[in-house]
Amino acid sequence: MAAQDGLWYKDAIIYQVHVRAFYDSTGDGNGDFRGLAQRLDYLQDLGINAIWLMPFFPSPLRDDGYDISDYRSVNPTYGSLDDFKSFLDAAHQRGIRVIIEMVLNHTSDQHPWFQESRSSRDNPRRNWYVWSDTDTKYKGTRIIFLDTELSNWAWDPVSKQYYWHRFFSHQPDLNYDNPQVREEMWDVMRFWLNMGADGFRLDAVPYLVEREGTNCENLPETHSVIKQLRERLDKEFPGRMLLAEANQWPADLLPYFGNGDEFHMAFHFPLMPRMFMGVKLEDRKPITEILKQTPTIPEPCQWCLFLRNHDELTLEMVTDMERDYMYDEYAKEKTQRLNLGIRRRLAPLLDNDRRKMELMNGMLMSLPGTPIIYYGDEIGMGDNVNLGDRNGVRTPMQWNGGWNGGFSNADPETLYAPLLLNPVYGFQATNVASQRRFDHSLLSWMKLLIRVRKSSAVLSRGSIEFLYPANHRVLAYLRKLGNETVLVVNNLSSKAQAVELDLKPYRGNILIEMFGRNIFPRIGDLPYLLTLGPYQFYWFRLRRI
Amino acid sequence: MPETSILSDEFIRELINVGEVDILVGVPTYNDGRTVGQVVQAVRAGLLQYFPRERSVIINADGGSRDGTQDLVRAASISDLSVTPDVHALRTLHSISTRYEGGPASGLALRTILAAADLLQAKACAMVAPDSTAIDPSWVERLLQPLLHDGRDLVLPVYRRHKFEGLLIRNLVYPMTRAIYRCAAREPYPADFAFSGTLGSRFLAQDIWTQEQGRYGTELWFALSAIVEKAKITQSFVGAKTRFETGPADLVKAMRESAGVLFASLDANFAAWNSPREPLEAPCAGCEPTVSLEHSRLNRKRLHQMFAFGVSELEPVFLSILSSHVHDELKRLAKVPEESFAYPEELWVRTVYEFAAAYHKAVIGRDHIVQALVPLFRGRAFTFLTENRDASAEEVESNIESLCNTFERERPYLLEAWDGRK
Repeated sequence: MAAQDGLWYKDAIIYQVHVRAFYDSTGDGNGDFRGLAQRLDYLQDLGINAIWLMPFFPSPLRDDGYDISDYRSVNPTYGSLDDFKSFLDAAHQRGIRVIIEMVLNHTSDQHPWFQESRSSRDNPRRNWYVWSDTDTKYKGTRIIFLDTELSNWAWDPVSKQYYWHRFFSHQPDLNYDNPQVREEMWDVMRFWLNMGADGFRLDAVPYLVEREGTNCENLPETHSVIKQLRERLDKEFPGRMLLAEANQWPADLLPYFGNGDEFHMAFHFPLMPRMFMGVKLEDRKPITEILKQTPTIPEPCQWCLFLRNHDELTLEMVTDMERDYMYDEYAKEKTQRLNLGIRRRLAPLLDNDRRKMELMNGMLMSLPGTPIIYYGDEIGMGDNVNLGDRNGVRTPMQWNGGWNGGFSNADPETLYAPLLLNPVYGFQATNVASQRRFDHSLLSWMKLLIRVRKSSAVLSRGSIEFLYPANHRVLAYLRKLGNETVLVVNNLSSKAQAVELDLKPYRGNILIEMFGRNIFPRIGDLPYLLTLGPYQFYWFRLRRI
Repeated sequence: MPETSILSDEFIRELINVGEVDILVGVPTYNDGRTVGQVVQAVRAGLLQYFPRERSVIINADGGSRDGTQDLVRAASISDLSVTPDVHALRTLHSISTRYEGGPASGLALRTILAAADLLQAKACAMVAPDSTAIDPSWVERLLQPLLHDGRDLVLPVYRRHKFEGLLIRNLVYPMTRAIYRCAAREPYPADFAFSGTLGSRFLAQDIWTQEQGRYGTELWFALSAIVEKAKITQSFVGAKTRFETGPADLVKAMRESAGVLFASLDANFAAWNSPREPLEAPCAGCEPTVSLEHSRLNRKRLHQMFAFGVSELEPVFLSILSSHVHDELKRLAKVPEESFAYPEELWVRTVYEFAAAYHKAVIGRDHIVQALVPLFRGRAFTFLTENRDASAEEVESNIESLCNTFERERPYLLEAWDGRK
């Protein structure tokens, strides 16, 4: 796809999907690249213009593909390299870019590199991983998977040393102090870039390098690795994009943008739980506070915003008081909690309340950043906490009310995961086909939302200015780009609200509501009075006529 | 002609911004700049500590302060506009202030706060005195918790007071309320108390706001109304009650607000207290001894002199109010020298009951009746101070209990006086 606009990622609406979960074209119970290609028309119709693919590489699948055993191939379950290439071309023909996952930090313990490394202490690949005679090094490093791991070190009975792992013990960390590793991983990236991948979502980037006496996160040496990758990317593949997964506080995230010479985009992890908190508290304070703490990033860079993804709703970047509140309000059942988070999808989190889903998606699309929609959330799919780990939010896409929800022709017992069957979120109640029938369905509304979002670059590239009306249940902000200004007003409350907005600097403008294009009264000298229904929001374009 | 609103347009705009709340804390003020800042900061800390998830608001109803009181209250706000690094709050806390018309009058302040609570659909409301300098954050929990978690309607405070403080409450309001309404609430005329939103709304709807008890002593009227309607009452021990001394107390005013309101309540609720009535429970949470014994200097001599002077000076008034037997006893007492003076419990109780009956029958102007009780109360206060001068806390409690029993025992005396048999 031509890189006619190097900042394309700023205008992207990203759809996150796992190949395995989307559509099974072969009838083996697993989604595949041919199936995904067959559903590209659906995604094009939805209006998204970028796809983020979760790991699709060969893997023992002990961590849903984040345990890669071969970086230059496709898991045979999902098809072949040719299938991937065909899918990529088909996506590009529809104007959809493809971002693929790259797990730089660690491999599977089944990867040949690790098998060689552990085979003996003098193996040439020994130094590709982090080995130690003791499990006491890097004591200041937190354990991320608290529910399953007791240490960041695991004993290898083969070579009789400990190896370092920040995630599961079957995911040994690569040693980025080794130039051979850095060279090899760039070569892997180049392999996919040459094929046409538009960008990478780089997994777990804060943890690449370890140093004694630190918490082994966000180290300068890690940034050096990233800068080097970015330099090579810009030189050999201009217009391609790097997206950071770094679950950190905003101030700690800033270095990942560097001077515009590290990542193009990074997820804004702390904002996401605060959006849920704001709606539950019916108070904008959590949202405005975290955005106030969010530093200005270099001009070519962009935040990535999301409501839900394939992981638990992470509560690492909140205070203890906020975490307790989130658990009590959003994960009343202990089974809904995992690690420091909540393993639920968007619709169940929001009590399947259509008004709240619209409000949250409205904020997702109007706050500064590139929005990501997690597959199935556009139709309000549910979850199944009984599936263990995070598999409950990774169930098959629900296309229709027929056999296997239209996902696969296989026997139901052979599906990679069972479909949802309950009367609210089950595939017979919640599916694409039924929602396509009606203009007022969630799916139809999401299409409208995306269309309106894409109608103005101000929402994707504009600055933000908060208005702070005295009514704290209302979150209001202006997005500005050039001469264009959009006013966004969100009622976070379950009750109707009146709000007075100080719009004096815009006196004389009329407001044009962007979804219905109706005209609202001209801004005068007095505070602008608006009333909003429960969870209602407005997007207004300001026009001086 | 449209009815005049008691709430200003500006205040209503602020209430719109606050929206529905779970907790409302009201602070009535009038030139309380020296203490109110400390009080609202304690309230704020209590809300953050004990009710961080509840939607809360602090509302100040001010009677026309000129000392910056309102600004001190507003400074307790927590919002995304005013970032205070050391304050960790989940949500916005509005702390707003309004000036009511016709003040200063505590009843008007209470009415303003009740109206706001009604509009904001507050589930629980607490009133906190602006001079309660002993307040700490736990007061907020102790006042509000029984409403929010135990389903109570009214929470009355129990303070630890010096044995010579609150003499009017200890010698008249508490024992008489207990005897007549059969509810042992230690502080029926509370400065710091809490009530459910529904009880507050019912009280707001009462037709008292053009009457005297709608301006002064309204908190007592509130508590008595709750007792009359058999609301679920509880008492919470909050700790020491210390006030910022602003000068000598106006006893006539205090008598109007306490005895005057109590008498008016008896007059309005005769059917309620005259019918057979089970005691109304008012359990006390966390109660501790309520009497403290620090050294205190009081001018008892002047009390005695004013009693004797009053009995003599007000004789024509007493002739209208008191039975000849009681009046004669008082005249005899007035001649007793200070060293041997004692106003006996039974005579005091009968005096008070005859005053209550006279108030009911309005034998003379009711305000004159209430004022005439002041010198007699001074005689009773002299006796209380004398009896308890060297008493331990237990002995003081025992003496108060004895007085309560006398009020109880003499209840038939009140009924006889009430219907004119005396």
